[in-house]
Amino acid sequence: MEWVTPITGLLAAAISVPLLLALYFLKLKRLAQPVSSTLLWKRAVQDLQVNAPFQWLRRNLLLLLQLLALAMILVALAGPVLSMVSGAGRRYVLLIDRSASMSATDVEPSRLAEAKRRARLFVESLRTRATFGLRETGDQAMIVAFDERAKVMCNFTSDKRQLAAAIDAIESGHGRSRLSQALTVANAFAQSAGEEGGGRRTAARLVLYSDGRLADVDGLAIAPDDVVYERIGQSRQNVAVTALQARRPYESPDRVTVFATVANYDTQTVEVDVQLSFDGDVLSVRSLTLPAAQPDPEGGPDRPGRAAVEFALTQTGGGIIELRQLNDDVLAADDAAWVVLQPPRRSRALLVTRGNVVLESVLRACPLAGLEVISPDAFDAMDPAAFEAQGAHDVIVLDNHVPAILPRSRYLVFGRPPKGIDVVVPQQIENQMIVDWRPQHALTKHVNLSNLYAARGWRMILPRDADVLAEFNTAPAIALLQRQGSTFVLLGFDVFDTNWPFEPSFVLFVYNAVTYLGLEATGFEDTMLTTGEPLVLDGVESGMAVRVSGPGVDSRPVQIGPGPVARFVGTDRVGVYTLTVAGQTPRAYAVNLLDDLESDVQPAENLVLGAGRVVAAQEDRAHRANLPLWPWLVLGVMVLVCTEWIVYNSKVRL
Amino acid sequence: MTTTESKTRRTLRDLLDPAFMARLDGLDILSHRALRGKLRGERRSKRRGEGTEFADHRRYVVGDDLRFVDWNIYGRLDQLFIKLFLEEQDLTVHLLVDASASIAEPDRDKDRYVRRLAAALGYIGLVGNNRVTISLFGDGIVAEVSNLRGRGHVARLAEVLLDTEAGGASDFDKACRQAAATRVGTSVIIVLSDFLFKEGYETGLRRLIGEHYEVYAVQTLSPTELEPELAGDLKLVDVEDADASEITVSAALLKYYKQTLAAYCNGLKDFCVRRGATYALANTGTPVEQMVLNTLRRIRLVR
Repeated sequence: MEWVTPITGLLAAAISVPLLLALYFLKLKRLAQPVSSTLLWKRAVQDLQVNAPFQWLRRNLLLLLQLLALAMILVALAGPVLSMVSGAGRRYVLLIDRSASMSATDVEPSRLAEAKRRARLFVESLRTRATFGLRETGDQAMIVAFDERAKVMCNFTSDKRQLAAAIDAIESGHGRSRLSQALTVANAFAQSAGEEGGGRRTAARLVLYSDGRLADVDGLAIAPDDVVYERIGQSRQNVAVTALQARRPYESPDRVTVFATVANYDTQTVEVDVQLSFDGDVLSVRSLTLPAAQPDPEGGPDRPGRAAVEFALTQTGGGIIELRQLNDDVLAADDAAWVVLQPPRRSRALLVTRGNVVLESVLRACPLAGLEVISPDAFDAMDPAAFEAQGAHDVIVLDNHVPAILPRSRYLVFGRPPKGIDVVVPQQIENQMIVDWRPQHALTKHVNLSNLYAARGWRMILPRDADVLAEFNTAPAIALLQRQGSTFVLLGFDVFDTNWPFEPSFVLFVYNAVTYLGLEATGFEDTMLTTGEPLVLDGVESGMAVRVSGPGVDSRPVQIGPGPVARFVGTDRVGVYTLTVAGQTPRAYAVNLLDDLESDVQPAENLVLGAGRVVAAQEDRAHRANLPLWPWLVLGVMVLVCTEWIVYNSKVRL
Repeated sequence: MTTTESKTRRTLRDLLDPAFMARLDGLDILSHRALRGKLRGERRSKRRGEGTEFADHRRYVVGDDLRFVDWNIYGRLDQLFIKLFLEEQDLTVHLLVDASASIAEPDRDKDRYVRRLAAALGYIGLVGNNRVTISLFGDGIVAEVSNLRGRGHVARLAEVLLDTEAGGASDFDKACRQAAATRVGTSVIIVLSDFLFKEGYETGLRRLIGEHYEVYAVQTLSPTELEPELAGDLKLVDVEDADASEITVSAALLKYYKQTLAAYCNGLKDFCVRRGATYALANTGTPVEQMVLNTLRRIRLVR
């Protein structure tokens, strides 16, 4: 048995025991009782004092009982405990994994709850500092919760209440596990003195509560002796949606094709049902058979059994596509994935020309949402940033104009190519005939260019990544180029220098080009994110009210940062988030997990650090806790007080 | 006489009840000295005529008066026995009643008992035509009526008993000195007290005891004195001299108290017996009637 706070006990004893004795030996207030004569009583008292040596004891039985009760309280105050942790005050860093795999429910109620429970037990067993100790420090601990990023829940302290509160505040998330940032943070704090350092620096010991699914574990710079790996979790039964895409083929924008991959991480074959919903309505359910996971011949993690599935829908509008696998498994976060489907949008075109009846009429014949015609000077006078932000036009058609500004957009350029896009135009060319073109390309599909004759043109020397779609005799005629975030379809000739307007292929080509460039404007990628990635919306003006709602987030205002962009980083959970700018239609973002490492919930047996060093998992032993003895002592005190009361009140003469 | 009797009975009824008084009518105070068998004529007699009550037999020894031989017994047993007579002597019955604070406090049990006992004895004495003197003492004798003879003075007896207040310190020795000084002839002195005197009872009693005087000591104690029911830490305050004694009551202390009490009473009894006085213990818990009719008869104070 050892004493946690012996000085406290001694100090309390020094105060209270003399006090109790003094109270007892002060003159007791005695009840005055008149008797006819004290003659006999005095003789009796004298006889008693002479003859009974333990009379003092009998008379002071109450005092003894009270002394005994006081002694027990004092011993309790001195904090006796059994099974102490020996050694000087140590420092511990508790790293608690709160990634998606820790939401698995194979350990009741969830792996994260179990990790928190074990961490709390550990905190309970920390040795505390003696109240009046001069040199001794207690154990200190620091709580760091990590998924991809690390968050310090509590700095080094011995205050168990603070530590327990910090542990309880850890919330589960759907991120990936990466330990490097957590370690960096822990090391930074371990170097500092901490709350009660007193100048002594002992190396902090890491205690990792995780299932071992760490992406960067082999690159970590820690010695195996410094880390204790508390493995949590036991099952590997999980089926996850690991890939999801939705595409509108541009030739039939009403149709949507959804591609998905479902993976099985268990060692048994499973049959799953996958369900496709659009905006909450279930459209289709399919059964899949997923093969069992196979061990990797190279010794890496097991390869899951995968199956691919494809759905074809007809959807003219936009909405949210959800793919969900209906089997019950331990991890629910990866059972569904979302994709935000944009409605097929008709493009809006901007024609920059001094007046071109042909182009104008052809463009008007195309299925556009709108056509705006401005003069080249007006175009050059625009602010490119504002133009990009407004996004009012998807396609810009430049008719023989080398623009002074080049905002990010999609360009159909007739005539001399714009400057600054790595295209060199050394000279003009004449009398060119199209000799070859690529009939399979989206731009030149169904377009017959064999009769195209150009009286004048420009020779274009294109960079190597440009796509040449049609060639004149001596120079490229039509090229496709991506530069500076913009897409350029370059035609090195003026329309009126050719006979093209009389060819039916002209109309077809312009239609193809406008459609192709318009589709490029509607990308899916920026609305599909993984957990932890921020939602970014540019083109907002500071001062506009932007709010976000989603899983776990309820209409929270979003700060507008420099840019100006609106940025929201709280995408901890999978689901569909909606950003609402005041006065505009809400934009949806799909946040998915889609991570093999997290979905494979099999807890790692050992942590394999860099250079093959292995940290074995701790046995799940009952955590050695210090058994405090003070409750028993307090119980004893209560019993003594009751006895004392009985003795005092009864007529039993002892 | 009837009116006087009814008047006296009414007053004495405050102390004694009529049925008891009726029984007391037939009793008389005895003096043991009578058993010595002195000549009839040598003393003054109360009655005109001779005392003829036969009391006892004694074996004949040479020198006895032959007139007193009981010839009936001789006829039957062929042995000579002398008849002894109870002489109705001219007795002075002196009642010395404790009227100090120790009798009256803390509750009036003892006081009432003692007064009733005194009333009974006084009544018996008056009824038996004796000379009755009753003195109440505290610090010396505080009240006295002396030489009452005959029923007519029952009222005065009652008066002094009822009207005298009890209380104050006690000086037994002084009272006994005063009592001894006023003695006349043969006396039976009955002391009714608790005898718990700090200065001791020996000196006082020694003054009273003498050749011609019969002393009866009736120690009156209440049940709370005999079997105290105290508990806890107490400060006992003596009602007479306000002397305080701090005690913590325990079983052992009570045991020692009772031992002390018993030793004290036995000591008083031994003292009396050794000097030819008679001792009786009265418990105020037992009724006065029982005391008078049983105990006092047994010790031959009354007959």
